[in-house]
Amino acid sequence: MAIFNWAVNLLMAALVALGAAYLINGGAKGRGLRRVAAVALGLAAGGAALWGSAAVEKLESTARGIVLSILISGLLFIGANKLFDLAPTRWALFRALLGGGGALAVFLLLWGNRAIDQPVLRTALAAAVGAAGGYLLGVVGHKWWRLLIGAGTGAALGILAATGMRSVILVFQLEEGTVELWPVLPNLNYGLLVLLTLLGGAVGYLLRAWRKNGKSLWASIAGWATVGFFLGAWGVPDLGTGQPWEALLAAVGVGLGAGIALGLKPIPDLNARTRLEASSRSYIFIIPALIFIGGTLIYPTLRTLFLSFYDPRGEEPVGFANYSSIFTSANSVDVSGWAGIFGSRLFWAGAAIAVIGTIAAVVIGRRSGYKATFTPGAGGATVLGLFLVCMAAFAALRGTLFNNLWWVLTVTLVTTAAGLAIAVLADRAKNESIAKSLIFMPMAISFVGAGIIWRFMYLARDPSREQTGFLNALWVGLGRLSANPAARTVAVIIVTALALLLIWLAVRAWGAGERAIASGAAVCALPFLWFAFAVLRGIGGVTESASGELIADTVLFVQETPFNNMWLMLVLIWIQTGFSMVIFSAAIKAVPAELIEAARVDGATESQTFWRVTVPQIAPTIGVVVTTLIVLVMKVFDIVKVMTNGNFDTQVIANEMWQRAFTELNFGLGSALAVVLFAAVLPILYLNIRRMQKAAGG
Amino acid sequence: MTALRGLPGPGGPGPGLGRRIYGFLRSIPTWVLWLLVVLWTIPTLGLFINSFRVRNAQRTTGWWNLRWEDFTLDNYADILAAGSQGGMWRALLSSIAIALPATVIPIAIAAFAAYAFAWIDFKGREWLFIATVSLLAIPTQMSLIPLLRLYTGGGTFTVPFLDKTLTLFPDLDLAGGVASVWLTHTGFALPFAIFLLHNYISSLPKDIFESAVIDGADHFKVFWRLVLPLSVPVLAAFAIFQFLWTYNDYLIAVTMLGAVGENYPATARIASLSGEFGQAEHLLTAGAFLSAVLPIAVFFGLQRYFVTGILAGSVKG
Repeated sequence: MAIFNWAVNLLMAALVALGAAYLINGGAKGRGLRRVAAVALGLAAGGAALWGSAAVEKLESTARGIVLSILISGLLFIGANKLFDLAPTRWALFRALLGGGGALAVFLLLWGNRAIDQPVLRTALAAAVGAAGGYLLGVVGHKWWRLLIGAGTGAALGILAATGMRSVILVFQLEEGTVELWPVLPNLNYGLLVLLTLLGGAVGYLLRAWRKNGKSLWASIAGWATVGFFLGAWGVPDLGTGQPWEALLAAVGVGLGAGIALGLKPIPDLNARTRLEASSRSYIFIIPALIFIGGTLIYPTLRTLFLSFYDPRGEEPVGFANYSSIFTSANSVDVSGWAGIFGSRLFWAGAAIAVIGTIAAVVIGRRSGYKATFTPGAGGATVLGLFLVCMAAFAALRGTLFNNLWWVLTVTLVTTAAGLAIAVLADRAKNESIAKSLIFMPMAISFVGAGIIWRFMYLARDPSREQTGFLNALWVGLGRLSANPAARTVAVIIVTALALLLIWLAVRAWGAGERAIASGAAVCALPFLWFAFAVLRGIGGVTESASGELIADTVLFVQETPFNNMWLMLVLIWIQTGFSMVIFSAAIKAVPAELIEAARVDGATESQTFWRVTVPQIAPTIGVVVTTLIVLVMKVFDIVKVMTNGNFDTQVIANEMWQRAFTELNFGLGSALAVVLFAAVLPILYLNIRRMQKAAGG
Repeated sequence: MTALRGLPGPGGPGPGLGRRIYGFLRSIPTWVLWLLVVLWTIPTLGLFINSFRVRNAQRTTGWWNLRWEDFTLDNYADILAAGSQGGMWRALLSSIAIALPATVIPIAIAAFAAYAFAWIDFKGREWLFIATVSLLAIPTQMSLIPLLRLYTGGGTFTVPFLDKTLTLFPDLDLAGGVASVWLTHTGFALPFAIFLLHNYISSLPKDIFESAVIDGADHFKVFWRLVLPLSVPVLAAFAIFQFLWTYNDYLIAVTMLGAVGENYPATARIASLSGEFGQAEHLLTAGAFLSAVLPIAVFFGLQRYFVTGILAGSVKG
């Protein structure tokens, strides 16, 4: 084996060198590609340097696995290509390979199910017989000889299979326990067998007659009759209770029928062979992908759908019980706290802001003759108000499903807005790319890593100790500042002075006609004023103990329900804002400069240009970002799993599904949850695919 | 002058103090931007600094209390070493062992399929392509349970109403091995990869194919000699996206690999470390940072391709 390992290693090294040389010389057309090649080479060099160390053993075996799998699939692929290359010119050889391969596949299946004795000998013989029959069928042109060859080959294969079939139950003693194998001899029901055969023949006749192509009528009848015979002989009866001669009859019948069906077809002419060769290509190119997609996507999805109607172990059907338990349990839908919505300050504040925004919109609209005009200010206030109302509602309505909706609403909205804002801010700033890189960087970090990073941010320690979590340290520090009269006074004076300075500047700018800038500065002054007021009133994480001492009063970001959910959401917002920013940034840069110029020349201010020209231009991009985010947030799993594992009222569907299925082994309920998730995502993905098709078409 | 109001000219309105006010106020957005950048960087920076501080310092003071005597590299040494609290070295290797094949295999398979969908005429091409792309809609969670069962029990087919079970795919005992993770990632990547590569390959100019066919090249040659070299940019973009996706993945790895084992990738390793509160917590900073080093390096090294990949990936469900 050592030689084998060496050979594969050598091969790998050669492959790496080849790939690198190719990238640098042939494929590389630009600097960026050279960089890719350089990184690849660097990785390869690093790998080579580590080659000797013991820890790399696994990596080595992995790499060997990759190379082997690629080699095998490459050989298969090239083999299939070469095989079909033979079709036009060397038909006999092509048929021989096909015949041999077909017989081999059938016998391997029998072998794999341990249905035949002496499997090695029989499989080898079958392959040889199949190849010989295929070759002869490819050469001999005489009608009756062809029929004879086909029938003979089929019958021989049938005999070969039937004589080796097992008649007793085999019991294997394996480490895991006993394994019973079903014996294969069929207990034939002759009436049914004849009926099904005739039915098959009729189907074959009708198919051919329907297509009005009488050419290979008999081949079609024979082929379909064989299918019927196969079902009657092997599908319907009880296997294992029959006699050996019954198996012989059943196997030879199938072989004979298939052989006759093949023998009845004449040798195709060159045209037909070339057509076969051409059409085979598409299948060779596509079939590997289809096999993977079928195995890992289509089959499991259907299976999940199926399992969701079954009990935890997938044995007894339970109807819609899993679904009804999802939608009725208090864990997933809990509306008992609905009255609390109206008791929260958040709700009333949000409602007030929304009402003010709407009234402003109506007033502005009346002035210009419309029903309501949502200017940026009025519209923004309305949206903000509604958002706050929703936050209040979600804080009161608990349960997994509501929680997921809360995630979707908050993260999507905030990420989109923040991404757009940063893209606009960065658009004309100096060192734009550095700023954007730093905001984009969390995208490269895994959700798990981000969860851990933020766990350290949210850390809350015993109040008597120094806080090591950044946010709690800030919070407690603010509290101490606010509680200390001298420090408080200084802070208030500084902040107020800053605010006043800004307001003064705003007044000057207003006088100079720079209204947009002036109002911007005034808005910037507001947080300063609020901060000064808050410090005066007392803000931050300290309380006074009975003895008058100050004690830290930390925020348990991760544990205090229900707003701990929002702190978890912040992690996802932190990661995803870079994504939406990059997309918006690209879209803003793609807005034609002439449009902006034209608007400016017509006297539009910056904010008017932005809202009336840029935003409509990038509206499709906003759609892309929002739909992408909704799907992503709907499936959020890693962050919740790492930070709370669904405790403290932070459960979401994906984590609930994982826990039910893989820790409680309730596959029924887990599958049902997966289906709910799928159904929730489906409409959005429908929109996405429609959009992709439009983009691809246009 | 009023018509040009708002133009970012160097002069601005009015002379002297007014101009300076104007300049200062104009720069407020930039200040806000850099404030945001700082806020965005603090979490990562804090983790990075903390990972170089000794255990006691990490536990008792915040990372902003920088003192030279707290500096240490032991956290990194400890977490890289094997053992119940470490094993990061092995986990990082596992991550690469998972991510590299899970990137290479789908590219190899999807490139062929994308070429066929784009340039080979065959029956049912349209609907087969649409069906393939529609599979983007299936969330990972949807197929995890049956896939795991397939890997642990092999593929069997129970004939309906007859209660006979046929083995179609032998039980290779894949669960727990990296191969199961590759296969899963490959399946999930394919619809997206085919879609992305198809869009690019189908937009290649038709003339080059025609002249190649006149020269007697068959599809295989056209694909190998023309399409692959021309598609390098989109292949690179997809490769980077897929590499980061698989390297950073946690759900599929932790499902397919089962209990903590030697095949656990870095994400799963630090997740399990973070579950064991107490002793190892000071190592978590180093572990989290180590797991992020490779993607961040890829990010800064190949930023342009990374952005293209992420943009392209935005359609992935």
